Amino acid sequence: MRRLPYLVAVSAALLAAAPVFAQQRNISDTALAAQTCNVCHGSASYVSPTMPPIHGVDATTLFTALTEFKTDKRPYTIMGRIARGYSDEQLKALAEYLSKN
Amino acid sequence: MAKQTFTRRHILAATGAAAAVIGMPHIARAQNGGRVLVIGGGFGGATAARYIKLFDPGIEVTLIERDPAYVTCPFSNYVLGGIRTIEDITHRRDPLQQRYGVKLVHGEATAVDTNARRVRLKDGTQLNYDRLVVAPGIELKYDGVPGWNEQAANTVMPHAWKAGPQTLLLKKQLEAMRDGGTVIVAPPANPFRCPPGPYERVSMIAWYLKTHKPRSKILILDAKDAFSKQGLFMGAWESQYPGMITWIAGKDGGKVESVDPKSMTIKTGFGTEKGDVINIIPPQTAGKIALDAGLAEANGWCAIDPASFASRKAAHVYVLGDASIAGAMPKSGTAANSQAKVVAANVVSSLRGTQAPAAVYHNTCYSLVTPEYGISVTGTYRPGPQGVAEVPNSGGVSPVRADAAFRKSEAEHTAGWYAGIIADTFG
Repeated sequence: MRRLPYLVAVSAALLAAAPVFAQQRNISDTALAAQTCNVCHGSASYVSPTMPPIHGVDATTLFTALTEFKTDKRPYTIMGRIARGYSDEQLKALAEYLSKN
Repeated sequence: MAKQTFTRRHILAATGAAAAVIGMPHIARAQNGGRVLVIGGGFGGATAARYIKLFDPGIEVTLIERDPAYVTCPFSNYVLGGIRTIEDITHRRDPLQQRYGVKLVHGEATAVDTNARRVRLKDGTQLNYDRLVVAPGIELKYDGVPGWNEQAANTVMPHAWKAGPQTLLLKKQLEAMRDGGTVIVAPPANPFRCPPGPYERVSMIAWYLKTHKPRSKILILDAKDAFSKQGLFMGAWESQYPGMITWIAGKDGGKVESVDPKSMTIKTGFGTEKGDVINIIPPQTAGKIALDAGLAEANGWCAIDPASFASRKAAHVYVLGDASIAGAMPKSGTAANSQAKVVAANVVSSLRGTQAPAAVYHNTCYSLVTPEYGISVTGTYRPGPQGVAEVPNSGGVSPVRADAAFRKSEAEHTAGWYAGIIADTFG
């Protein structure tokens, strides 16, 4: 335990270089797929004038909407057609990713 | 104590790894991120540049673009219809530089040496790359319609298939036409940029004529026997513009054999048609630089790996957007924007030496029949053995039967889509 301050200092030094290490991470399948939504729905920093924001929205809310579009339980113009391009597992992963990004 | 030892060893290993990275020039370059050149600043190229920076700000990205501003082909039909101005559809790329650190180079790429990994610009500048993204859009085949050429296009028979002065020329001719005149629109055979575009154009010309010159007619002389969203367009024309629009399929004499700009006539297999305004949409190929760089097939388009849009012709090169052979995907702005994200992820992953994510592509094309009547086609796509393939039982067009409120809602989303893709492309 008495070494803790030392460890914290070293860890902080390593964290300063963190972007280099962070960048070595793979871009996940879900992270890439989620970017396709931005063209209509915008990003965390841009909100569409006509389409609902999806970034930072609760994952359950998003997943429920997507599955209801997919199964024609909720009215839509194009989202049912799009949601049918993804499995329920993929939609769940997308909802979770979007809720956090 | 055991825990401390482990932790200390762990840290030493980590610092050792960092030192090793710095000591190796190959990886040190990856640490700097690497250098990417993007040729073309349209929906494909600009999106690729922006997303490479979003995925990894450490990569140096340079965007080479000939034109100072981007006049979008999407919404250019609305300039013809009088519901948008050319200023509304003209966009600057500065945010890419100011907000994301993309270096903008105003110039024309004239040669690519894919072995030396170098691009030459018209002014003689040479730029080296680790990865090259080629997104040049299309080249119009001025020799693709007998009797028609660039001079005819710039005077009496505009193409208006690259937005800008050509759009305004066609608009001026529509405005100068007498009430009761005939407008001829002649779309090419597949494949070409924006499959629903000619038919949205006809709709928007019809909107202008209905409101300004209601006795006029529109004749479509088509090289094809079927077209995108055909049922939706033809149903809407019947209800919105009854008696105004005639479509002639290629097999029924629609195919243009030759044109005569002097007499403003078109010869088809079945006879001669005279137009007061004639819009020739010619056959196309990938943009010239893609052809000059040896990236195209004999058919004029660029073959790619459907998982990454990596060129089939040259290593470390990606070709995307209208110039590419994208399988089931249409040549559209949304398609290019979506392909660009996959390319960005692949460029970043290959420079880092990490596994690239699985590709998924999206397309949405909205078309307006009237300012309050929108229709759409969407698709989700994945790589397949025969190229990019649509995910079965997904996508498709708007319902054939829908009420006015539904069509209006899609018209509103047409505007929302446009604002969205501009923000997603240029930042």
